Formats: sequence, structure tokens, C-alpha cells
Amino acid sequence: MTDTQIALDARAVQFYYEDPTTHERLLAIEKMDLEINVGEFVSIVGPSGCGKSTFLKIVNGLLPTYDGEISVLEPDHGRAHAMVFQDSALFPWYSIVSNVAYGLTCQGVPKKEAHARAMPFIEMVGLTGFETKYPYQLSGGMQQRANLARALTVDPEILLMDEPFAALDAQTRELMQAELLRIWHQAQKTVLFITHQIDEAIYLSDRVIVMSARPGRILADIRVDLPRPRELKIKRSPAFVALTDQIWSLITPQLHDDAPATGVAS
Amino acid sequence: MAAQTVPLKRTAHPNPKTGFWPRPNERVVFGLLGFVLVLGTWELVSSSEYGLGLVKRVLLSSPTLILDAAITDISSGAIWPHIIESGKEYVFGFGAALVTGIPLGLAIGWFRRLNYVLDPWLSAIYATPTVALIPLIILIFGIDLGAKIVVVWLEAIFVITVSTTTGVKAADAKYHDIAESFRASNWTVFRTVTLPASVPYILTGVRLGTGRALVGVVVSEFLAANAGIGFYIALNGSFFSSARVFFGIILLGALGITLGELVRVVEKRFDRWRPAIS
Repeated sequence: MTDTQIALDARAVQFYYEDPTTHERLLAIEKMDLEINVGEFVSIVGPSGCGKSTFLKIVNGLLPTYDGEISVLEPDHGRAHAMVFQDSALFPWYSIVSNVAYGLTCQGVPKKEAHARAMPFIEMVGLTGFETKYPYQLSGGMQQRANLARALTVDPEILLMDEPFAALDAQTRELMQAELLRIWHQAQKTVLFITHQIDEAIYLSDRVIVMSARPGRILADIRVDLPRPRELKIKRSPAFVALTDQIWSLITPQLHDDAPATGVAS
Repeated sequence: MAAQTVPLKRTAHPNPKTGFWPRPNERVVFGLLGFVLVLGTWELVSSSEYGLGLVKRVLLSSPTLILDAAITDISSGAIWPHIIESGKEYVFGFGAALVTGIPLGLAIGWFRRLNYVLDPWLSAIYATPTVALIPLIILIFGIDLGAKIVVVWLEAIFVITVSTTTGVKAADAKYHDIAESFRASNWTVFRTVTLPASVPYILTGVRLGTGRALVGVVVSEFLAANAGIGFYIALNGSFFSSARVFFGIILLGALGITLGELVRVVEKRFDRWRPAIS
């Protein structure tokens, strides 16, 4: 695996949402170009409703009516990509091991084998001992660990993560960020991470993509050259704070520009 | 005036449990109290032997008279053929409603176009009192067991089907997205999302169906029968034997409660994945 290999290549991607009652077309994403190398950790930040989650859904194949071109690397292992959804996205009627093995079940792997193959990932995310529990018996942070393990079991080239820690309390969120970096390092995946938290994006990523308010355009593609492995205390380093300020100064005018329209913005 | 602090109201902890007897459960105590009160008043008002005998015994009977009638008919064996007959009607009719109603409901919920075709019919029949169809059913199926099974089936099937369909539609779109993102086949989506999500709705339909099926049993036996609990009630009513009428009613009530509890046991089994709601 060389660093120059491209895992995701999006060219001039546009997307319209159609209002189901008025049939009005609303431009959600405007001419978006994005290239992600294999093994890279890339975050997209932007104001609410800027189309960042929409972009992720397009890449995941859930919104096939986009314009432009997207190509993804078909790896010789597992799958091209798998999604880690927002909070409480586990099936409440399945135990943790069945949830984690879900992607394999969908591929037709027999239950016993699927469960066996899920076990290393349960261990990787630190859920050993909780296999037979149901999601409601787990804390929010543990549920997101299982959510991550579910995506990892299908061995994707790219992990698509849609604000996976948004619903967690501040301390659990920090802990999960550190855990995600550890797992990313161990599993050697490409990650496309959506968040509205600037410090989360910087702490995790090699590159932070800043998007404008709707219609979403890329405002900046910022390289994060902080050394790895990163400890949580790096968030208080001058370089980190400078990056935070830089991104904030890009996003703040977007928030103001959006102000008159907030009545209809999501 | 200077501000001053005032003590916040505080009450002592309830006393910890002491002694041999369990702490009385208010629910049980008051439930029993109500039971004793109603039966006592009934006996007092109606019984000429143990009470005031204010009401003719043929109108209200009395708890002791009903107990007498029950003991007589159970020990003579006279009640058993009726119970067996009603049981047959119930088992076959309700069984048929389960076997047909659940798959039908699943199919209607799953196939949008089938829903468009069947929905007006189902809504119409669901809104029609099925007892109105009994003369027609007797005309077609006669007055044997078959006709009663059809009545019970008709009474129970719609509530099961409608509830099941609701369950299929109620499955959160989020779970379909997840299944789709893992490239689940239609069958896998059905098996892993639709079916588990609709189980609580199916069981609610089944629980409501047990009651409706019982209504079907009684009504069809009222109209055309020579055995069954409904027939036993109707017959004894025409003989002015109100104690036996009440005994029949109590049997039906007990049957209804038992069946409802049975479904509740099944519901519990399927509710493992949900936090207990008491």
C-alpha cells in the first residue's frame, strides 16, 4: 500500500434536495472536489445544514441522484466503505455481538461464523464481556464503540463517520476521540469524518475540510501537521490553538451570513 | 428588611421494615377490599338466605347461588361438553386468524401496491360489525362447527392484520438506512429490521384478537348452536336460571383473562431487548 494511492476521488459533486410537497429544488452541495489518500484521516466541518452529512450519504450510496463524479478504491479486501452512524444506530432488538456482526450477516455469512469473526473487533473497541448485552444496557459511549466495531467487521477501505460522538457528554467524547485514534492506527483505515466540533476535527485529522453555509462549498482544505501519536493535551498546544482560530475565522462569517435565513435553515 | 435564611421542609425517612410480616402491598389490599365489598353488597342485597333479599333471585341471583350452580354443573359433568365445544371453535378460529392475519398484515405493510389494493376493503370490513355477517355465514356454512370457526376467524383477523401492518410501517427509516448501507438484501431487511420492529405491534394485535375471538364464540353460539358456553348462557337465560347464566359469564371472563395473560408471557419473551416499562 503506497501513500499516493487515492481512496476517494470526488469531482464537481452537486446535490439537490427536492421538497416532497412543493417539488422545489434546493441546492445542498455546490461543485465539491475532494481527494482522499489511502490511510488518511480527513474531517469535514461546517455550519449546520451545510451539506456535510449529505456528502457522506452520497459517498455511502444512500443518495444516488447526485451530479458529478465520485470514484472509490475497490480494495482487494472487504468492502470499499462502511458507515458509522450517529448515536443510537444499533438495532435495539439485537445483542451487541449480533449488532457488530450485522454487516457479515448481510453478506450471507452464517450466524455462528459471523459472531466468531465479530469477536476480534469487539475486543479492539474494548467491549469484551458485553457481547450478550442489548444496546439499551450500554452507555452512549459504549454504544458508539459497538457502532464502530460494526463498521470495522466488514473490513472497509474507508470508514465513513457521521458525527459519531455528537450525542456524548464532553468527557466521554474526549475519551472516544483518543480511542478512535488508537483504533484507526491499529486497523489502518482511511477515515472520512463529519463533525461540527472544530477541536475534534483538528485533534483527529490529517486534513480538515471547511465547508460554507448552504449551498455547501469547500472554503478551505487545511493540513494538520501535528505530530502523531497525539495525546489529548495537544489540544492546549499553541499550534493547535492557532489552527482552531484559523478555522473559526473561516466559519464565523458563514454563521453571520446565514443569520437572516435561520428561520428556514435546518 | 434584611434577607434571612429559612429551613427547607424536611420529612423523616419511612421506617425500615421490621418483623415477620411483609409490608402490606397497597395494590393487593385495596384490590381485595373492593372484591369483598362488591360481592358482600351483592349477597346482602339479593340473597334471601344470607341477606335482605331485596331483589328477586331470578334477576340478580347471588354469589352463593352462583357457587352452588357451578359446583353442581362441574361435579355432574354437565358443563364440560360446552367448554370443549367452545374451546374447539376458539382454537381453530383464532388459530386460523393468526396463521392468516399476521402474514397478510406483513404483506400489506411490505408491498405498497398491495396496500393500495386492499386498504379500502380492509378499512370497510374493519369498520363493519362482523356480527352483521353471521346470518350470511350461517347461510353459506350451515350451523355446524365450521360456521362458528369462520365467525371467530372473522372477528379476530382484522385487528391482527391492521396492527401488524402498522408495525411494519412504523419501523424507523434510520434502521432501513443502516441495512441498506450494509447492502442488505430485501429478505435480510425484512428479517432483521421489519420483522423485529413489528413484533410488539403484532403481539398487541394478537392480544386484542384474543378478546374479539371470544366475542365471536359467544355471539355465534347465541344465534345457532346446541353446545358451547354461549349456548349454555342463552339456554339457562331462557329457563330463568340466572345463577347458571352468571356461571357461564364467569367462565368466559376467566378464559379471557387466561388468554390475555398467555399473550403477555409471549410478549415478555420478545421484550428482552427493551428496557422494562412498568
